[in-house]
Amino acid sequence: MTSPAHPLSVPIPKWAYAVALVALTVVWLVLQENGIALGHAAETVHEFFHDGRHALGVPCH
Amino acid sequence: MPTYKGLLARGAGAGAVAGLLAGLVGVLVVEPPIRAALAVERARPVEPGAGHGHEELFSRGTQVVGGVLAAVVVGVAVGALFATAYAGSRRWLPTKPPFVRAVALSAAAFGAAALLPAVKYPANPPAVGDPGTVEYRTVLYLGLIAAGLLVALGAGHLASRLGRLSPPVRATAVAVAAVAAVVVLLVVFPATPDAVPPDLPGAVLWEFRLASLAETATLWLGLGVVFGLLVDPATRRARVSAG
Repeated sequence: MTSPAHPLSVPIPKWAYAVALVALTVVWLVLQENGIALGHAAETVHEFFHDGRHALGVPCH
Repeated sequence: MPTYKGLLARGAGAGAVAGLLAGLVGVLVVEPPIRAALAVERARPVEPGAGHGHEELFSRGTQVVGGVLAAVVVGVAVGALFATAYAGSRRWLPTKPPFVRAVALSAAAFGAAALLPAVKYPANPPAVGDPGTVEYRTVLYLGLIAAGLLVALGAGHLASRLGRLSPPVRATAVAVAAVAAVVVLLVVFPATPDAVPPDLPGAVLWEFRLASLAETATLWLGLGVVFGLLVDPATRRARVSAG
């Protein structure tokens, strides 16, 4: 393995998968959650981020 | 030698900056058609048991702040995912400098996660959308994004497989294959089940759709540019020699 001036790939530790899972969950909560995880509180989240959901092009109601 | 931790921090930071910029585009460009669509919605006769009353829960001002916050939070999360993809992307334009690789990767992500769904399932403002079909529409939307990301991944693999071809021929072959795959996706995926209500002016609808695309483009390309500036050693060299 040669080492170029800009290393192409960086070793990805195991905990990176946990980070990715947290990131996906956050995106889900902000853009998609409609009651599966939060139940009734989801409506509050939905309404607070309502403009963001529409503006980012996510299907919404 | 960059570490994963370093890339992750830069991805999250670049995502926060890009999210804030996208949120500003949202306030300045997306809010006017949203306001126009809400006015159409309010002018409708109230159906018993219908609607979900967003006016009562939060004021418009709070929802505008929520829109900016949504873009920032999504920007940070997407930035973390982007950094992970960048860290693992050996085949992605291996001969190009980090800045070019980052911007090209963000352009591919924008194409798969925003432009492709915007072509097949364009964004809709308030006043459009049957709550009864939202789950089906969400499955279609997320399925198309996943398929688009697979096309981007496949394009990277194909480019490395065709390493013996000259760069222009290889680029053309990869582009033709990617376009063909995207056309197949656009044909195969079913049309959205919802019709646009006749009381919403077409001008408002399309102003909103283009504005929404401007916001997602700002998010993704802003992320790629800021991340590229942060990871490319050439950025720092220039700054040191200038200072």
